[in-house]
Amino acid sequence: MSEDAVRLLPADESSWRLEAYVRRGGYEAARKAVASMAPQDIIAEVRRAGIRGRGGAGFPAGLKWSFVPQGGPAPKYLCVNADEGEPGTFKDRAILVRNPHALIEGMIIVAFGVGIRTAFVYVRGEYARIAGRLEEALAEARAGGFLGRGIFGSDFDLEVVVHFGAGAYICGEETALLESVEGRRGQPRLKPPFPAVIGLFRSPTVINNVETLANVPSIVGRGADWFLARGLAKDGGTRLFGVSGAVRRPGLYELPVGTPLRTIIETHAGGPPEGVAIKAIIPGGLSAPMLMAGELDTCMDFDSLAGACTMIGSAGIIVIGDRTPILDVLKVMARFYAHESCGQCAPCRIGTSWIHKIVSRIAEGKGRPADLDLILELADGMKGRTLCPMGDAAALPVRALVTKFRDELERAVSR
Amino acid sequence: MVGLKIDGLPVRAAEGTSVLKAAELVGIAIPHFCYHPAFEAEGNCRMCLVEVEGLPKLELACSTAVKEGMTVWTSTPCVIQARRDVLEFLLAEHPLDCPICDKAGECKLQDYYERYGLFAGRFVEAKEKRNKKVAIGKGLLLDRERCILCTRCVRFLRKVTGTGELGVFERGVRAEIGTYDGVPVDNNYSGNLVDICPVGAITDADFRFKTRAWFLKKRPTVCPRCSRGCAVVVESVSGYPLGEGQRRIFRIKAGENPAVNGSWICDFGRAGRRDIDENRHVRVIRSAAPEEELSWQKGLAAIAARVRAVPGPERPGKIAVVLNSRMTCEEMALAKRVFAESLGLGKIFFADPKPGAGDGFLLTEERVPNARGAVQAGFSPRLPDLAALAATEILFIFGSHLLEHFSEEAVSRALAGIPSKFLFSAHTGPLDRSAELVFPIAVPAEKSGTYVNVDGLRQSFGRAVEPPPGVVPELEVLAYLANGLGLSRGVPDAC
Repeated sequence: MSEDAVRLLPADESSWRLEAYVRRGGYEAARKAVASMAPQDIIAEVRRAGIRGRGGAGFPAGLKWSFVPQGGPAPKYLCVNADEGEPGTFKDRAILVRNPHALIEGMIIVAFGVGIRTAFVYVRGEYARIAGRLEEALAEARAGGFLGRGIFGSDFDLEVVVHFGAGAYICGEETALLESVEGRRGQPRLKPPFPAVIGLFRSPTVINNVETLANVPSIVGRGADWFLARGLAKDGGTRLFGVSGAVRRPGLYELPVGTPLRTIIETHAGGPPEGVAIKAIIPGGLSAPMLMAGELDTCMDFDSLAGACTMIGSAGIIVIGDRTPILDVLKVMARFYAHESCGQCAPCRIGTSWIHKIVSRIAEGKGRPADLDLILELADGMKGRTLCPMGDAAALPVRALVTKFRDELERAVSR
Repeated sequence: MVGLKIDGLPVRAAEGTSVLKAAELVGIAIPHFCYHPAFEAEGNCRMCLVEVEGLPKLELACSTAVKEGMTVWTSTPCVIQARRDVLEFLLAEHPLDCPICDKAGECKLQDYYERYGLFAGRFVEAKEKRNKKVAIGKGLLLDRERCILCTRCVRFLRKVTGTGELGVFERGVRAEIGTYDGVPVDNNYSGNLVDICPVGAITDADFRFKTRAWFLKKRPTVCPRCSRGCAVVVESVSGYPLGEGQRRIFRIKAGENPAVNGSWICDFGRAGRRDIDENRHVRVIRSAAPEEELSWQKGLAAIAARVRAVPGPERPGKIAVVLNSRMTCEEMALAKRVFAESLGLGKIFFADPKPGAGDGFLLTEERVPNARGAVQAGFSPRLPDLAALAATEILFIFGSHLLEHFSEEAVSRALAGIPSKFLFSAHTGPLDRSAELVFPIAVPAEKSGTYVNVDGLRQSFGRAVEPPPGVVPELEVLAYLANGLGLSRGVPDAC
């Protein structure tokens, strides 16, 4: 078995084509699923694998699929979340560029398992060029009989539509994504109802991240046990860890879930450049509360990171070196969330903007003694009180940063 | 039905009821801005967060459905803190121009701050500068600084009128309400936007800067401008006479009546405020001596004397009456008793405002409130035959709508030969010149009574404003006349 057959990103960069994908065993899992498996067995196998969503929230994918009501007159939809807007995250684009057929095969399997005939791939607007390759791959799959009518000679049909976002972070939130696909202003919906029951066009809808779906062919093809053996018993598989910031070899590293942060940063990404020490690490995209250099031995899995009061999120690791003033990090963070809040609900709309205004003032040298406490209280005012998870996504990293680097920030305030 | 506990009180509510509504059933008010009973919960203001036992986070009272055995707390320290925080967020970017804001005194943001806030402001940053006077159509002005983006207006136009003129543009703190490509709000229900705006973001040019909410007496009545019979609230100040440009009625707002109009009224009905104040007759006028002071009692006594002078058997041929369908059921019943039963008149006609276009929602084609009441009172409403009128000696005209059906020339020609002709009208008009005596009459908002609406629903209402001194409803005119004629007034039948 070539290693490329089980890697999300094959080493050979030219191997994205259908022909190469089939040569390394591609579409066999989909064929097996459609030709010889009962839909509920597919869902059961993925549930047993326990694969947690790779987009950020980490909800078990098989469980999510099992919430979709069986039967019923309404069509069901699959939405692939390729919005990848979380700062520090660049894994889905790599899959779209280097292994698009793994995503397509994963889509075929979930669509067959759940009873879906139409799928949408929601690609962030900034990835328009990248999506050209996805379109090419989709055309190959259609020509090869893997999409369209009567897939693998069965009565199973699947059409895939590529839909572009227009540059809003919030559209990566699953219900805002649905609004955007429907042609409306991209802003989250109130939950419940959950998309599995009432989703796209008010029909049951499965929404999964690109990387999650790209894992599905291996799970179904090789079995849940194989998948679980590649990570932790409760949190299986590998992940594409994207490392950026103060490291010698920034890039994507596909490693088992549970790999220590230190191994990823030092062994694979080469550690910080000469003369730079690690000051802080954002472990899972900007919204994951930061870890201090002393927490480098934390393992990169859901439970370990939850234990460190942060999250694996999108597994986008941002390493911050000691030459970067923490106020600069806070400024970027505050500006990002203020810029990307959809504005729908009051705490996030005003909270992100207020924090941004305070931080900007501190950066102008006009800090006030009460500012840092106020930022913490505003973050608390948003946390758990907003319409969608973005309130927490904005509040928690700000809170962690201000708490962990209080002394440095106090100096900036009183400057 | 589902049983639950809210703040320790047992509550039974239908399945699917929101916690917010269930709490109202037991008199617990949960503060909210974006929630409106006519729409699905939106959950954007975050003001109605409450504690539900067993759930880790605060939940929205507006969107959480009641469940059997649920325990809800609406005033725990955690809930109080959340409300305070939401208020602090909303007030941070709010202009706090309450002293010049029309909504002051009836503003949810102001009221909730008094109740749940009372903190000192901590926002020292520059507030967002936004357009404070955006004309969005139909005399409505949008103040984007005051707006808290509850989107009630957007949802109203999408879900109630289906016209969708307003939307939210931009995002984050820059998000704002606006029209699409400047196409203005243009529908017959635009005034409701002002009613449902919880703050002073949408104001009406007709009301803007005219008075303060706390000066207004708010009384419910039934709208008389079409046959729908919508619940309305007339908001007025007392005082008469009115000087030039002064108002007594400042606005008419939608009342609530789930059986008829829900929470909405049309702009045509709302504009009825002018009917109450403008072009009113306020004293009896004798055409021969317009300056002469004459009380309505004396005038009516003179009329009664003339009627008595006509021998009973000749009355049906010599006396005619023109009524209208704005009169209440009680007035119709008394008119029936006096004119038809006691005087035995046959020439009883109706002259109503001409029908207009209905809008397929609330506004009907009929422009009178009680056409069904007239039929139920035993009348067969028909327009007068001018020749039949011309042949009479005494003519009573209630209302001034004859001229909508006949030319002024034809009417004055028909009336020219009638020796005694009396007009009972709320408003001045060209018909006044043809009458010997003109009596000032109360408008519907100044009456109590009953109307029967287009669907046959009987609705009784009380007086919403006092009539001007010396102005009385038809009911009193008819009763006085009955007395003067020595007729038994009886108890007016319900029609």
